[in-house]
Order: sequence, then structure tokens, then C-alpha cells
Amino acid sequence: MKKYWWKFLGAALLLFSVIFGFLGETPRREILNETIRMVYFHVPMWFSMMALMVSSLVYSIRYLQKGKIRDDIYASQFAAVSIVFGILGFFTGMLWGNYTWGDWLPKDPKLIAVEVGMLIYSAYFILRGSFDDEQRRARLSAIYNIFAFASFMPLVWILPRLTDSLHPGNGGNPAFGSDMDVKMRMIFYPAVLGWILIGTWIASLRIRIKLINETINE
Amino acid sequence: MKEIKSLIWKDIKLELRQQNTINTMVLFMVSTLFLCYISFMLRTNSLDSLTWNTLFWIILLFSAVNSAGNSFRKETSGRHLYYYQLAGPGAIIMAKIIFNFLLLLFLSLLGFGLYLALLGNHVSDYRIYLIALVLGSLGFSSSLTLLAGIASKTDNSSGVLAVLSLPILLPLINMLIKLSKNAMDGLAFSASYDEIMTIFGIDLIVIALSYLLFPYLWKS
Amino acid sequence: MKLLSFLLNVEMADVMRSEGKIYVVVAGLVIIVAGFLAYLFLMDRKVTKLEKEVENLKK
Repeated sequence: MKKYWWKFLGAALLLFSVIFGFLGETPRREILNETIRMVYFHVPMWFSMMALMVSSLVYSIRYLQKGKIRDDIYASQFAAVSIVFGILGFFTGMLWGNYTWGDWLPKDPKLIAVEVGMLIYSAYFILRGSFDDEQRRARLSAIYNIFAFASFMPLVWILPRLTDSLHPGNGGNPAFGSDMDVKMRMIFYPAVLGWILIGTWIASLRIRIKLINETINE
Repeated sequence: MKEIKSLIWKDIKLELRQQNTINTMVLFMVSTLFLCYISFMLRTNSLDSLTWNTLFWIILLFSAVNSAGNSFRKETSGRHLYYYQLAGPGAIIMAKIIFNFLLLLFLSLLGFGLYLALLGNHVSDYRIYLIALVLGSLGFSSSLTLLAGIASKTDNSSGVLAVLSLPILLPLINMLIKLSKNAMDGLAFSASYDEIMTIFGIDLIVIALSYLLFPYLWKS
Repeated sequence: MKLLSFLLNVEMADVMRSEGKIYVVVAGLVIIVAGFLAYLFLMDRKVTKLEKEVENLKK
């Protein structure tokens, strides 16, 4: 975690996506106009959130297998940062949606799925707050994390595809592929990777600070 | 399998003798229904089918959350160790899930009957509505049993249970309301097929998860 | 396909681009993002220092 190379990579990718996100060429689309560039910022928020949630899940599973508190710290910090990205993604989505779909909060299943997801992970932290004993807290929150994740996933991926949805790629709209040409993808994929790396960097800092606190308390 | 059956049977016999949980739950359901009856009958026939349906499922949801909390509360820790030595944790969770399922099924059918009687009948297709009740009871009981197990280890178990379970149950409830709305409108079976399969899928996933995760819960 | 008929009709920020103002926007954002990244980097260094201190205290 102390290595720097991936942090510099993340920083470079982020700067790249910001600069070329505005200077690069985009397809001209009705309704979307220039806001199509939001794709470089709004969507990576979701990908980062997912990546961080999966990391949190992995460490929860590891904790249940080995019982090391270290793993529980990893799991909880990844979850915390994923909530932040989720909130950011939600607000950027609201902003984008208001100017394209005409409503700050439309009744879209993907939106509802994310709102529920935020509730679930907030409940995770409330659960953690109600324990004093370290081991108990770690074990029970790990169980909840795994259970909640597995219930949450079908929500976010499957349900929107089954029902009507405003989002592209779900419920009758053609997938985003048709709107994003090659030039956009060249900026989009690096942006996603960059944000995931930055999110991981932030989480790693939080983890390291927590670990230092742990050692001080011993 | 035998262990599961005997565990379920033990819970049923306990319930019939003490009637602890059942009485509380029935009373809760009846009082809430009566409250709705009084409030909504101020204007006659004022309940449109959407409100009727949603209200029913909300009442069911809260009854379910309450009843699930009870299933772990009445176990004292001494007995816990005894059970652990006799039957594996997998059997225990399956038995609890099935017991809760039966309890919820009973409650939902009772509630449904009362609802029809007090608040008018908006249902066209009973078959699908009953399927929704059965699948719903199964889904509620499977998620709630594991979550109740988690919550029972905390100090404020009923509060924590509510906080934990509501977000997770939201998608299930959403599907159930849609399905039962279809039943009320009398849509053909094919229209609801997707929903039924999805709900059933969710139920299975949750049951499998509970089965896998319970052993870890049991150790503490 | 849409492209042929709508090439000139879709409003985009061409005016801003042609006058070079888009570079102002980009510059502003680069400053913000670079500042944020610099902050992260400084935090990282502080944490590394703390970790080394704790290591020394342990011994």
C-alpha cells in the first residue's frame, strides 16, 4: 500500500480524463448536447463504488475465514469510501438527469436500486456502531456485508433490465455503446480506471490511519 | 432432515403451548388493520386498489419484522449450546426459516381474510394473490431469520433489526406489490410470470446465503 | 443515420471552443484536480511518517 506507482498512474489518468474530457471530440446528440461529457465523471463514480464495495466484500469474507481484525478494518474503510462515491454518483446523476430527463428524481429503477444500496451500507455502519467488542463487531458486520451485497447485486444489475428504465442499456433503451464512439471510449476507460485507483488510494490512507490508531491503542 | 423436522416440531409445540409469539403477532396485525379500517371508513369506499394493496403489504412487512425478532429472543444462551451439540447450524437455520415461514403464512392468510372483510374486496385473481402471499412469506422469513440472528447479538436488537431489514426487503416488497397488483387487476398469468420467477429467485438466493452464513453467526 | 441530417443542427459549445474559452475551463479544472491530488500526496507522506514513528516506538 505504500508503493507509489499506482497512485501516480491514477493521478495521471484522472488529469488526462479531465483535460481531454473537455477538449476531446464527442458525438453530437440531441437532448444530450455537451452534457454527454458527464459520462466521464458520473459513470466512473459508479464503477469506483462497485469496485470498492467488492473489495469490502472480499475483506469481509477473508475476515470470516481467518479472523484477523486487520481484514475487518480493510472491509469497513472500503465500504466507507464506497458510500462517498455512491453519494457523489447519485448527486451527479441527479444534476445530469435534471437537464436531460427533466426531473431531479425520476422514478427510475436504477436510481431506486442505488438509494436502497446507500441505505444498506448505512445500516452496515449503524450495525457496527452498536457493538463495543471488536471481534463481535467484525464478525457480525462481515456477515451482514456478505448478505447485503448478495441481495443488493441482483437489484442493481437485473431489476433495471427487466423493467422500464430511463437509463441507457436498460428497459428498452439501446445500450450506451450506440452513443459512445471510439474517441469517447479512449477517454472513458482511462477515466474509470483513474477514479477507481484514486478511490482505492483514499481508502488505503484511511486504512493506514486506522491501523496506526490500532497499534497506538495496544 | 430428521433434525430439521424435529427442531421445527419443537418450535411449533412450544408455540402452541405458550402462544407467546402468535398472540402478540395476531394482536399487532388485528389492531393495525382495525386502525386502518376506522381511518379509511370515514369516507366510504375511499380506498382505491393501489392504496389497499400497498397498505396490506406494509402491515404484513411490519408484522413479519416483529415476529422474526421474537424467534431468537426467546432462546437463552444455555439452550443454544445444547442445540449446537445436537444439530448442525445448517439444520437450525433451516428449521427456523421454515418455522418462521409457516408462522408468516398463517399470519398473512389471517390478515388477508380480515383485510377482505374489513376493507373491501379488490382482488380479481385469488390464485396469483395467494402465490404472492406464499412467496412473500418465504422471502420475508428467509431474510429476516438471518438478520434477526445478527440483530439478537446487539443490545438494541429490535431497533437494529428494523434498520437492517428494511433496505434489504425493499426490492422484495416492490416485486410483491407489483405481483399482487397484477392479481388484483386480473391480468393473465403470463404477465406476472417474470415477477414470480424473480421473487422465487430472490427467495432461493437468500435461503442459500442464510444457510452458508449462519454457521459463522452460531460460533459467537 | 442521424449524423447526415443533424450535423449542423445540434447545439454544442462550438462558440466557446472557437474563441478559445474552453481552455480556461480546462485550466480551472486542472488546477482544482491537481490541488486535490497534491493534498492526497501530502496526506500520504504524513501517514508514512507516522507509520515510521510508530515502528520506532515499538522497538
